[in-house]
Parts: sequence; structure tokens; C-alpha cells
Amino acid sequence: MLPPRLARPSALWGWALLLVGFALLLWFIAAWWHQLEPASQGHKLLLVLGGLLALLGLGRVAQQFAHTPNPLVGFTPAALTLLLILILAEAWLRAYQVPPGLIPTPSRVLSTLLAVRDVLLRDAFQTVVLEALIGYLIGCSLGVITALLVSRYVFLERGLLPYATIFSSIPIVALAPVLVKMMGIDWPSKAAIVAITVFFPMVVNTFRGLTEVSPLSLDLMRSYAAGELQQYRWLRLPNALPFIFNALKLGTTLAMIGAIVGEFFGANGQGLGFRIQIEAGRFGFDIVWSAIIVASLVGIAWYNLVAWIERRLTGWHVSYR
Amino acid sequence: MLRLSPNLVPMLVVALVVLVLYWPLMYLANIPAAQRALDTGAVLPCKTALECATQLRSPVLPSPQQLWQGFGNLMFPLNSQSAIPLNAAVTALETLVGLLLAAMLGFFFAIGMVASRAFERSLLPWIVASQTVPIIAIAPMLVVVLGQYGVQGWLPKAIIAAYIAFFPITIGVAKGLKSPDPLSLDLMKTYNASSWQTYLKLRFPASVPYLFTAFKVAMTAALIGAIVAEISTISFQGIGKMLAENSRASDVVAMWVIMLSSAALGILLVALVNWVEHLATPWRRVPQREGGGR
Repeated sequence: MLPPRLARPSALWGWALLLVGFALLLWFIAAWWHQLEPASQGHKLLLVLGGLLALLGLGRVAQQFAHTPNPLVGFTPAALTLLLILILAEAWLRAYQVPPGLIPTPSRVLSTLLAVRDVLLRDAFQTVVLEALIGYLIGCSLGVITALLVSRYVFLERGLLPYATIFSSIPIVALAPVLVKMMGIDWPSKAAIVAITVFFPMVVNTFRGLTEVSPLSLDLMRSYAAGELQQYRWLRLPNALPFIFNALKLGTTLAMIGAIVGEFFGANGQGLGFRIQIEAGRFGFDIVWSAIIVASLVGIAWYNLVAWIERRLTGWHVSYR
Repeated sequence: MLRLSPNLVPMLVVALVVLVLYWPLMYLANIPAAQRALDTGAVLPCKTALECATQLRSPVLPSPQQLWQGFGNLMFPLNSQSAIPLNAAVTALETLVGLLLAAMLGFFFAIGMVASRAFERSLLPWIVASQTVPIIAIAPMLVVVLGQYGVQGWLPKAIIAAYIAFFPITIGVAKGLKSPDPLSLDLMKTYNASSWQTYLKLRFPASVPYLFTAFKVAMTAALIGAIVAEISTISFQGIGKMLAENSRASDVVAMWVIMLSSAALGILLVALVNWVEHLATPWRRVPQREGGGR
């Protein structure tokens, strides 16, 4: 699995530096696990040294992976970076004895995550499945339908599309409290926020996909005497698919943000946004971080799911060949 | 610029249709609430549900005259602490400072990514992942933590705005710096240009169009960040503070007015970027395309 150039001396040096740096930092963490007072100047200097060594090593190691084609192997430097950041944070927070109520150490967050996973999973179900997913599906389908209509009727294109562009510069957070007041604090209000948020990028993107068709292809359709329906079925919709998937991918992020922000303005006692709001208010930051980790994992998984479907459906497209 | 756009008439017609449809919709939404209010036997200035629908204290949809009055109440006096203009200005300031910080951060990451492939390989996955993460969720915590270390007032909000806005700028600038075609890069090489000169004379100018596109996206993101930061902390000024206040007080009409004003603020800020782009890139003022690919 490892690239052949690993055997070069500079790469070995990189790994060695990285290992020494990690070892220094980990040794400190282990030594300070039960200490309650801040570390001495010498210890802090040691930490700086360890961090620098690891960073230097990381730079050299990353160089080796710069041109790896395999995405999994190519991910190694990124994984090492994350590991380094986590270990550095743990060591520094322990060295300065930052109160865990202010910035919890990564290890503490992990143990909290395991301890409260049932609550967070219930929150995630409410936020992701009921609010984000339902709103996402409604907003995206309405967006595609609107784009179909807009691309068919020039009047709608001129009258509606400029508004869609304008809407993209509106801060959606301001919409949230109004919708929550209008539709109550249960999940439908948040689903509505999500639907509105994903709707406009969907319309704009799908419209571009439907209309940015090569004139040659249009001429070909015409010479085949293709009806309007056939033109959409065989030319415009396939052409729009990559654009639609772009909007779908963008929408996953927007949907999570919309649902979480919506919950800031009132929720029925459940949901990731609600949990974050409540716990941040009483300095329960280990739970806040845990909720953020759950939200991130869901967000990344959702995005990759859409990307996977995209590859299955639009494998013929230029960008994958 | 005074040439009338062909979109104008259809846009006005659509706006008119929406306005005309709003009235029956408003009655439809409010009459049940009004009926309930009447049924409780409360002393109301109106007799029938139809009359009351436009005068509810917390309507489902506010009537146009309520909105109009709400605007009057919240806009004046212009320099009042509880009026929109001053608060909007504070939020706009936070957003702009945030955008500036985001631009610096974005340039740093973008140059790093273009200059070193190792840097890109180690960081890009996390920069991208940070976008599939609802970053907004970090805002409430970040404000409290920054406040603990003495960063207070409008600065933490600007920092959060920057944190949310730096991604589109990073990606946009990186794309722009990579955009010169290989021929031009070869030409620079034949001129024996140093990499610093290549950046200054070729890569930076080439990235300007991408930069402004990124700024437009980042501006909205920064505004959202600033508002969320204001909502989730103790703040004394700003649109977000007004939103949170009126949301707690259940003042529906005021919330509508604030929503519409912040929409206007967002449009205004993006228009500002457009204007700066127009000033800064005179060579791109030629009308770009007509009619699209229809």
C-alpha cells in the first residue's frame, strides 16, 4: 500500500521526525494525565519542540504523498494532520490547565460523546431525518419543477429568475424566527426553513443545466422532429443532471445549517441545534462538541452519499472520464 | 446603465401577482386565529373575524398595514438604539470586518495550496469537510470562549463571520491562482521570472474575477455568521440581537420587519461587492453574454 518512494532517506527522516514529535507529545500527555497544576516552562518548551518536530516530519511525509493517485492512500497526510492537531490540542490544554468548562480536551469530548450517545442519536434523528431530510426532499423537488417551468416559459424566466438570484444574498437566519412563530416549534417549521433554503440554489442550477444546451444538439433534435417532451427527456434533463447534483450536494450543507439554526429559535426539547444552544448557555462544551461531531459525521456521510449517487447516475459525464 | 432591462416588466408583474395573492392568503391564515380570539370573549376593537384578521396582535401573516406601521415604528428615530438603521449598521460593520479577515485567511490558505501540493494534500480535505459540517453550530461556543479571553463587543462576531466566510474565498482564490493557461506560465518561465514575479504579474491579476465571485458568496455567508453570532450571545446591538429579542417577545410584526430589512441588508452588501468589482475591473465591463445558450 505504501508508495515506493517511501524508501528514500528523506522520507524515512520525515517519518522519524513525525514519530519523535508524536512520542514527545504523547509522553507529556501521559505524564500530565492526573496533574492539576500548569506545566513548567521546560515542559512547555518540550511541547513546542515536539510540535515543531512533528510538523517538520509531516511536511516531509506529505511531500511523498503529493502525487499518489489512490484517494485512500492520498488521504494519509490529512489523517496525520488531524491526529497532530488533536494531540497538540490535548497537550496544550493540559499544559495550561484550561478549565474543561471553557475548552474541553479532545479525550474528554470523546468520552462524553460515548456517554451521551443515546441522547445525541435521538437529537440527530429529529434534526436530520425529520427536519433536514424532509425539507431537503421537498425543497429540491419543488426547485426542479420550478426550474422546468421557468426554462419552458420565457416570461417566467424573466420575472422569476432574477428574484431567485436576489434571494441567494438574503441571510436565511432572519427567516427562521418568523417561520418558527408561524408554524410552531415542532419539526415542520424547521423542515420549511430547510425547504426554502435549498429551493433557490436548486432553481438557479437546474435552470442553467436545462438551458445551457449545445445549439448543435438542439438542431439535431429539431431535425429529428422531436417534440418538446422528447427534447426534455433526451437532451435537456440529461444535460441538467450534473448541475442538479451540484445543487443537491450544496443543499446537504445548507439543509443541516438550516435545521440547526431553525432550532436556535425554539424547539420541542430535542434536536442537535437545540442541544448546542442549551449546552453552550451553561458551559457544557463537551456536549456541544459531541453534538458538533455527530452533526459533522452526518453532514459528511450525507454529502458523500449524494456524491456516490451522482457517480452512479452521471458516470458518462466529462468530469469522471 | 440606465438602459431598461427586459426583465423589468415581467419582474414587476410577478411582484404584483404575489402582492395580490398575499391578501386572500393573509385572511385565510388569520381568520381562524381571529375567530379563536373572539371566542375567548376578549374585548377587541373589532366585531367579526374578517375585521379582526388584519388587527391581530400576533398574526400568522401580518397584514400590509401592520407591516407598514411596523416599519414606521422600527425605522425611526434613525439614531435610536432600538431602531433598525443603527443596528443594521453595526451588523454590516461586523460583516465587512469579518469579510476582510476571511479574505486574509483565504489568501493565506489559497497561496499555500497553490504553492505546495503537500500543503494541499494535508489540509484541503479538512477545509472541505468543515463545509459539510454545519459550522454555524460552533458559533455559540466560539463567542463564549472568545469572551472569556477578553475579546468582546463586535470583534468576536466579526471573527465568526470570518470563520464562516473564509472557505468560499479560499476555494475561489485557489481556483483563480491556478487559472492562467499553461502557455502564459511557460512565457513567464522563458522570461526567467521568479515565482514571486509570476504571482504578482500573472497569477494575482488572473484570479481577480474569481475573487469577486467568491466575495459575493462569502459576503452572504459572513452576514449569516454575524447575525448568528449576535443571536447566540449577549449582544447589545445588531440585527441578530433585535431578532432574538423580538423572537422572545413574540412580536411577530417586528420579526417580519427585521426579516425584510436584513434581506435588504444582504442585497445591499452584495450590491456593494458588485459595485467594487465594477470599479476595480474596468477591463471586464464589456457586456459579457447575451441571452444565454437558448
